[in-house]
Amino acid sequence: MSFTILAEAKKIAKITLTGEIDSLSAREFQKEIEKMAAESPDELVLFVENLTFISSAGLRVLIFAKQKMGSGLAIYIVKPQESVIETLEKTGLQHSVNIVDQYL
Amino acid sequence: MERITFPGTLDSLEGIRQIVKEESQRAGLSKKAAYNLILAIDEIATNIIVHGYEETGNEGPVDVLTENSDGKLTVILEDDAPPFDPLKRELPNEEFFNKPLEERPIGGMGIHLTINAVDEFKYELADNRNRNIFIVKTGDN
Repeated sequence: MSFTILAEAKKIAKITLTGEIDSLSAREFQKEIEKMAAESPDELVLFVENLTFISSAGLRVLIFAKQKMGSGLAIYIVKPQESVIETLEKTGLQHSVNIVDQYL
Repeated sequence: MERITFPGTLDSLEGIRQIVKEESQRAGLSKKAAYNLILAIDEIATNIIVHGYEETGNEGPVDVLTENSDGKLTVILEDDAPPFDPLKRELPNEEFFNKPLEERPIGGMGIHLTINAVDEFKYELADNRNRNIFIVKTGDN
């Protein structure tokens, strides 16, 4: 497997994404989001320090999360690599998520 | 041109990215240029596999052709899915990207990322095969 998910669903949903998210691994990511959506979290925190690649399929899961968990959901993206930040910016997603160095 | 054939299934994506990564390194592309090319190819390969094969109930290959010459790295994806020109689709405009996520249509980002990632992106139909052509300058000419 090229990426792993450590899930802990309370009001804050936390997921660690590592490796590469393409259309195949995005399907697993989406399943995890679907499970977490049942708990109606207020925040979705994605730890992505070791995420080296994300395609539009992965970005679509973020959009899906927002649509599934409600517009009040705050999404935090913790420590993204430069290439990941660039992809978020090219698709305008940086306005809808919080890119942070650390999640407190 | 060198040709490597992959089955048209999503688990081929990783291998396709690997080939493109190796070719990018051989061609001396910067890390950023290589990443962008890999992203572009992953996006189009995904479209071929999901929309061209899976959704139409077809099966077939994705051929990856590479050539590094004349100061440019050319990568071509060839497939036998129904003819589809990605450039014919309406591209997302500024309004699309300014929309809040919850109001956004779910598609359209992949082709946008592709076009912005390489120096040239072309599509042609040749011998009834789709050919998606990606060209990146290697800067050594």
